[in-house]
Amino acid sequence: MTMLRIRNLGVRFGGVVALHGVSLDLNRGEILGLIGPNGAGKTTLFNCISGVIAPNEGTIHFEGRSLRFAPPHERARRGIARTFQNLQLWGSMTVLENLELPIDAIARRNTLSDALGLPFSHYAERAASERARAILHALGLGRYRDRLAADLPAGIQRRVELGRALAMRPKLVLLDEPAAGLDAGETEQLAKLLHKVRERFRVSMLLVDHDMSLVMRVCDYIYVLDFGKVLSRGEPPVVRNDQKVIAAYLGEPTPELVEASPTVPEPVITTTIPDAPQLPRTDAVEVAGETGTLLEVTGMAAGYAHLEVIRDIDLTVQAGEVVACIGANGAGKTTTLRAISGVIRPRAGRVTFGGHDITGARPEHIARLGLAHIPEGRGLFPRLSVEDTLRLAVDAAGKPERLEAAYDVFPRLKQRCRQAVGTLSGGEQQMVAMARAILTQPRLLMIDEMSQGLAPTIVCQLFQMIDVFRQQGTAVLLVEQFVESALAVADRAYIFEHGSIVHEAPAEELRRDRGLISGSYLGSAPDSTEAIEVAANGNGHHRVLDPELMEILSMRVPAEVKRALEERAEREGRSAGALALELLEEVNHTQ
Amino acid sequence: MMPGHIVRFAIAIVAFAILARLPVGLDPAFQFDAALAVIWGFGILSLVLLTGYAGQVSLCQATFAGVAAYGAGMTVAGMHGGYLLGIIIGVLAATVLGVIVGLPALRLHGITLAIVTLGIALVFDKYVFQDHIFDWFTGGTGGWQVTQASLFGIPVDSSKHLLTAYDVMLALFCMVAVLMVNLHQSGAGRRFRAIRDSELAASTMGVNLARYKLLAFALSASIAGMGGSFYPLIAGSVSPQPFWVFTSLQLAAIGVLMGVRYVPAAALGGLFMAVVPDVLTRYGHGTFMNRFNYDISYDWFQLAVGVLLVLQLILLPDGVWGDIRAKALRAWDVVRMKPREEVRPA
Ligand SMILES: Nc1ncnc2c1ncn2[C@@H]1O[C@H](COP(=O)(O)OP(=O)(O)OP(=O)(O)O)[C@@H](O)[C@H]1O
Ligand SMILES: [Mg+2]
Repeated sequence: MTMLRIRNLGVRFGGVVALHGVSLDLNRGEILGLIGPNGAGKTTLFNCISGVIAPNEGTIHFEGRSLRFAPPHERARRGIARTFQNLQLWGSMTVLENLELPIDAIARRNTLSDALGLPFSHYAERAASERARAILHALGLGRYRDRLAADLPAGIQRRVELGRALAMRPKLVLLDEPAAGLDAGETEQLAKLLHKVRERFRVSMLLVDHDMSLVMRVCDYIYVLDFGKVLSRGEPPVVRNDQKVIAAYLGEPTPELVEASPTVPEPVITTTIPDAPQLPRTDAVEVAGETGTLLEVTGMAAGYAHLEVIRDIDLTVQAGEVVACIGANGAGKTTTLRAISGVIRPRAGRVTFGGHDITGARPEHIARLGLAHIPEGRGLFPRLSVEDTLRLAVDAAGKPERLEAAYDVFPRLKQRCRQAVGTLSGGEQQMVAMARAILTQPRLLMIDEMSQGLAPTIVCQLFQMIDVFRQQGTAVLLVEQFVESALAVADRAYIFEHGSIVHEAPAEELRRDRGLISGSYLGSAPDSTEAIEVAANGNGHHRVLDPELMEILSMRVPAEVKRALEERAEREGRSAGALALELLEEVNHTQ
Repeated sequence: MMPGHIVRFAIAIVAFAILARLPVGLDPAFQFDAALAVIWGFGILSLVLLTGYAGQVSLCQATFAGVAAYGAGMTVAGMHGGYLLGIIIGVLAATVLGVIVGLPALRLHGITLAIVTLGIALVFDKYVFQDHIFDWFTGGTGGWQVTQASLFGIPVDSSKHLLTAYDVMLALFCMVAVLMVNLHQSGAGRRFRAIRDSELAASTMGVNLARYKLLAFALSASIAGMGGSFYPLIAGSVSPQPFWVFTSLQLAAIGVLMGVRYVPAAALGGLFMAVVPDVLTRYGHGTFMNRFNYDISYDWFQLAVGVLLVLQLILLPDGVWGDIRAKALRAWDVVRMKPREEVRPA
C-alpha cells in the first residue's frame, strides 16, 4: 500500500531549479534511500514533504490525503517526523525536554491547566517524561538526559534528533544524513537500529545519506536525484552498478565508500583530478623549505563549563606533514582542535605554533599566524554570498583570479557564486568552508570532519587535494570519519580515547595493524553499543524489547519501584528497560 | 500539585510577606513609588513571557499597560462601574490589542518586528492617547479622575489607602509570577521555548506556530495590562505621559538588563525603574562637601540605563538575575560538595 505518493514535484528558487518533475512512491514499512550529488535537491524534497516550503507544482499525498494545505504541525500530527541536516535541536533546553516536547505537542495540551499545575497536566507531564526517558534509554542517551542540547558534541546531537523524531510516534520518518560524522562502527549500529525501529514500530523511512555503506545496507529501494530530477531508481545492487549513477555520484568504487568491510586492503583512490590545482602562494610564507616542528601541544586540557573533556594531550605536527586524529565520537578530537585554534581556552598545558606561544591566544590572532581551522559547524556567515565569503579570505587586496583556483576545485560553487551561503545545500556549504580555508593559504590546516555531507566523488577529490597540500608544504591535521581514507593520505595518526591520546603511530603501521584502531573504537563506545543492542535484541537473548512493554513499564510502575530499577540499572551499567524485562521474565518463570 | 508547585507557592508567599512590609511607614511619595514598581514589574514580567520564553520582540509593552489603564479609568470614572469591572475591562482591552499586534509577528522576526511594534507604540501615543477623537476612551484633556474606589468592599484609593492597593497588586503579582514559573516548566512553556530556539524544528515537531505566537502576545499583553489597570487607582487619574513610547523602550532595556529570561528579574526591574529616577530627581541636587554643586536630573537616568545596558551585555550576558542565579547554583554545588564532573566521552 502506498503511504507517500509524490507526483511531478517542482521547486524553483529564483533561477535555481531545485526539483523538477519528481515522482516517488513509498510503501508502508519501507525504507527508501534518496541519494545524489550535493545540491541535487534531496533536502528540498524533505522540506516539501514536511511542509517547510511549498512546492511550485506537483502534489504530495500521505495515506491517501493531500498535504497541500496542511501546515507543518498538522503534518506532524498526521505522523510525519524528520531530522535536520543542519542540526536543529532546541539548544537551551535539556535533552529530556527536547524529547518531551514532540510527545506533548501532539497531545494538544492546555496552557491554562499547565500554568495552574492541574492534575490533568501533572499526569500528562509525567507520561511524557517517562516516555522520553524510555526512548533515551533505548538509544543509549540516558546519561545526557539533563544536559543542555547545545552543549553536546555534534554526533550525540544527531542521535538526539533521531530520538526526538521517534518520540512523536511517527508513521514516516525523514532522515537527513543521520550518519554524518559517525565512524564505521557507529554507522553499523545505526543501520541495525533503523532496521529494528522499522520492525517494531512499523515506521516507514526516507533516508538521505552520503555514506553508501549505510544506504546500501538499510534501504529496500533507492532513488537517485541529480539536478533536481530522478536520475535512476531501483534496488540497491541495481543502483550501485548503474553507469549513470557511478558517473554522476558514486565515482569508481573505493572499498570504504561503497561498502564497509572491516578488513580491506589499502584503499585505492581511482578518480583523479585532471589538473591538481596549483594554488599560488603568498611570499610571506616560505614554501616547501619550511622544516621542523610546526605545532607542538604539551599537556593540554580543556572542556566546557563544569565538564573537562580532554586532558594530557601531547601532540606535534611537523611542517608539511599530514596527521590524522582517530577515535570514536566524543573522544575529544573536536575539542582538541578547538583548544588549539583558540575557539575555547585550554585549561592547562602549552600550545606553540611556528615558534610562537599561542596558548589561550585569540582565534583571529592564531589565524593570522597561518593556522586555519574548519570547524564541524562550518562557521560561515549565512547572509554573505559565496563570492564575498571567498573574497574575504583572499583579503581586501586579493586578486580575483585567485578565486578561480577555488572554483576549479569546486565547480559547483562557481554556479552558485551570488547565492547567500545560508541558502546553499549542506554539502555546498561544506565546500565553501573548505574553499575559504584553502584560499587563506595556511601553514597548518585543521579540518574537522572534512567529508561530512559531501558526495563520494568529491570526498575522493578532497583526499587527493590533501596530497597536493603536502607537496606544497602545507601541514594538515585531520579529523575524519572515513578512517581508511584518512590513514591512506596521512603520515602519522593519533588515537583518542576518553579524552586523551592513547597511541601514536605512523599511518602505515596502523594500516597494517588494524587491531589498534578497532580496539579504540569498540573500547570507547560501550554504552551505545550495549544500549542499541538492548533496544534491538532485548536482553541479549534475541528477544525484541517491545516498545509497548517499555512504555507500560515506564508509565504504570510506581515511582519508587521505577527509581529502584533505574538505580540498579545505573549501578550495573545497563539499560533499565532490559533489566525490567529480565525481572519480568523471572516472575513469569516462577509462576 | 507537584512538589515543585508547592515550593514555588511557598516562596511566593514569603516574597509577598517581605515585599508587603517594605513601604510601610515611608513617606507617601515612596509609597507611591512602591506601587508604581509593581506596575512596571508587571510590564517586565510580560516581557519575560514574550521575549524570555517565546523569543518574540516587542517595543510596545507600555502601550498595552496604557490601554488597560484607560480601559479601567473609563469603566470606573466614565461609566461608574466597580473597580473590579474596570480591571477586567482594562485587561481584556489589552489582550485584544495583544492579539492584533501578534498578527504581524506571524511573519516578522527580530529587528523588523521591533520596528513594527515600536510603530504601534508611537501611533497609540500620538493618535489615541492624545487625540480628541478618542476622548470617550481617554477622558479628554484632563483624563479620568478616580477618587473613590473599592475592591471586594475594601476601600482602595490613592489618597488614603495607597498601601491597601499596593498589597492587592503585590498579591496579584506574586500569583502571576508563580503561574509563569509553572508555565516555564510545563508542556506549554516548552513549546514557547522551542519557538525561541528553532521555529523550524518546533513547527515540524507539531507546534502550531501561529497559535502559540498569538497566545504569547495575548498573555503578555494581558499581564502588562494587569499592571496598567491599577494605574488610575494609585495615581488618582490617567494621563498619556506614563505610557508613552519611551516607557516601552525602558521596559525592554531594563528587562534585558535584569535578565529577561527570569521571573524574579521582573521584580528587580520594576523596583529599579520606579525608585531610581525618583531618588535621582529628589536627592540628585545639592552641594558636595560644601564645594561642588551638582544637579542630577531624571535625564541622567536614561543615560545611566544606557550605560548599564552596555556594561551588562559585555559583563553579564544573561542579565543581573541570570548572573546571581548562576553564582548561587555554583555555590550550592560547593555546599553539597558535589564533585566536579569527571572526564567522560561526551
Ligand atoms: N532558499 C534557497 N534559495 C536559493 N537556492 C536554494 C535555496 N535552498 C536551496 N537552494 C538550492 O537548491 C539546490 C538544492 O538544495 P538541497 O539542499 O535540496 O540539496 P541536497 O540534495 O540536500 O544537497 P546536499 O547533499 O549537499 O545536502 C542547491 O543547489 C541549493 O543551492
Ligand atoms: Mg541536503
